[in-house]
Amino acid sequence: MSKFLASLVAATMLVPAAARAEGTIEVLHHWVSQSEVDALNVIRKDLETKGFQWKDSAVGGMSGANAQQALRSRLTSGDPPGAMQFLGWEGPQWAEQGVVRDLNDLAKAGGWREALPPQLLTFVTSADAFIAAPINMHRQNWVWANKKIFDEAGIAVPKTWADLIAAGKKLKEKGVTPVAMGDEPWQIGIIFDALLSDLNGPEFYKKAAIDLDPAALNSPEMVKVFDTLREVRGLVDDNFVGRDWAVATGMVINGEAAMQFMGDWAKGEFLAKGLKPNTDFYCFATPAKVTSFQYVIDSFGMFTVKDETVQKAQVALAETIMDPKVQKGFNLIKGSIPARTDVSVDDFDDCAKLGFNERAEAIKAGSMLGAMTHGFAAKPEFASVFGDVAAQFFVGNMSSDDAVKMLVEGIDNAR
Amino acid sequence: MNAAKSFSSRLAGWLPRIVVAPSLLVVIVTVYLFILWTGVISFTSSKFVPIYDFVGLEQFVRLWATPRWHTAVANLFIFSALFLLLSTGIGLLMAILLDQNIRSEGFLRAVYLYPMALSFIVTGTAWKWILNPGLGIQKVVNEFGWTDFRFDWITDPKMAIYTVVIAGVWQSSGFAMAIFLAGLRGIDNSVIKAAQIEGASLPLIYRQIIIPMLRPAMLSVIVLLSYIAIKSFDLVLALTNGGPGSATELPSTFMFSATFRRNQMGVGAASAIMMLMTVAAIIIPYLYSELRERNNG
Repeated sequence: MSKFLASLVAATMLVPAAARAEGTIEVLHHWVSQSEVDALNVIRKDLETKGFQWKDSAVGGMSGANAQQALRSRLTSGDPPGAMQFLGWEGPQWAEQGVVRDLNDLAKAGGWREALPPQLLTFVTSADAFIAAPINMHRQNWVWANKKIFDEAGIAVPKTWADLIAAGKKLKEKGVTPVAMGDEPWQIGIIFDALLSDLNGPEFYKKAAIDLDPAALNSPEMVKVFDTLREVRGLVDDNFVGRDWAVATGMVINGEAAMQFMGDWAKGEFLAKGLKPNTDFYCFATPAKVTSFQYVIDSFGMFTVKDETVQKAQVALAETIMDPKVQKGFNLIKGSIPARTDVSVDDFDDCAKLGFNERAEAIKAGSMLGAMTHGFAAKPEFASVFGDVAAQFFVGNMSSDDAVKMLVEGIDNAR
Repeated sequence: MNAAKSFSSRLAGWLPRIVVAPSLLVVIVTVYLFILWTGVISFTSSKFVPIYDFVGLEQFVRLWATPRWHTAVANLFIFSALFLLLSTGIGLLMAILLDQNIRSEGFLRAVYLYPMALSFIVTGTAWKWILNPGLGIQKVVNEFGWTDFRFDWITDPKMAIYTVVIAGVWQSSGFAMAIFLAGLRGIDNSVIKAAQIEGASLPLIYRQIIIPMLRPAMLSVIVLLSYIAIKSFDLVLALTNGGPGSATELPSTFMFSATFRRNQMGVGAASAIMMLMTVAAIIIPYLYSELRERNNG
């Protein structure tokens, strides 16, 4: 007993002693699922080799809204964590409040700006300051398809939305649910975002979803987006209410449904079942003349703190995150691709490789776009209006013209 | 001696106040001060973080121009009215039936009261599956052979709010029953006997004598259930998550998403103040009349 106690005391003494050596950094984030935690461990281990301890503060739930809540109260009480995971406009908005540490010196020394796609900088810089280190990049506009169903029905990977809808109708006649999804606004939003750019081009997407140009919002092109969304609704079964996205992915995996529109976090579900891309399942971008790459990134921002050991740890953490080796290790587990464009594509699966290629093309073609539904286009007060209208339209029987009218009024009301 | 005595008697007089003071202070700060603060925020242009400027009623105008808010308010009235009416009605009926000296009453009472022990999250999740046309009631009935039976309210934006009522009533009517049952047990049997001797029929006795005597129990039930109705945030979240679309949005879910997810802190605060006003407008006159009568009587 006394031996046990002694070892217990030794163990509890050991951790803070090691931590005190170089410094500890508390990181607030909302990653709690197994693959997310495993991916974070890549960062944590690299940080430990530099002699710093990672203190984990995970607040899960509500797609990060709970973690944001925790951050607010921490900032209000003057005790911010060393680092925080940022999504969408959170980083720039906190930077405007003057609470985020500028990492510009590190960014210049490390050539971060050159290593990242230029479109990304909106979310990791604020004026001249570099405010967050991006670790990964998910793509929102993927289609995941059951290859066996496609082959049996003689369907090829569709090149246009018209092809895709025709294929869906054919499958429906055969008694297969063409599209698996749930009724959550963000799941509907994924399709809406894709249609905005796929039907009308990336310039239209920028005008409508980023600049909120009234002429683009109230246009025949927008009506067309809703018309097509209505056709997609016809490809979804009636039991879609309350269905989790991972359940929908499961329907594609076990052959109940043919396709799902989902970001590349769905890939993990296929891989976990031992399925192989292009032999068991297809992954392809939502079809368009100019294929778009609608990105979602996770980045870590550092808060202004007085404690010098934490400041040192912040530098170490930022450098770790931007390390190409760490980005590779992290993303191999997380299912996304590195935010840096100079990481080698070896060891990644075929879907990720396709993502790498299409990202390079999209950067050139100007079709590298922030995914609105996940907060990387219009600010949340506007993006949520798009989400509301698309979701209400999708589940009800509103006409496309009414939806456009509702959208225009809603955006004006939020301005 | 005299001074010491008066000190201890004074202390005795002050002691209850001293003991209550900390909790009173906590309530004043965490409830009333924050109500005041929310009121202040509702008159500002706050978005992501609080900004202390003054923009008048702008946020209220914006709030009432938001279609989702109209849906939320309409839903609150539909939900609260039906929830209160059905829970109270079913609770009262069950209490009266259980009060007929039946066998294994204790067991039945526990069965009906048990749902109250569940959290709304559990209730919501369970009913989400029960009401899903592909998993629950509709599927079972269809498989029994009645193939064109339809019960898909949860997928219909117009009907979805009634599924929230169903789940809420299922959970809370047992609770109403328990309170009514306690009330029934408190009624003096001789009153009923006297009425029977006078030749009153059983329904008449219930309508004219027993139910009016249950008035204090009725007050408790209504106050407790209305508060459950207004804070039924978690039930909606688990059952429909505000969907399909935003068809089952309630003011509470609207307020949460405006404030914490949509960068519209000012609009969120305005909606919270509207909720407070609505509740106050209903509850205060009711409490006032009930409590005054009791003081007079």
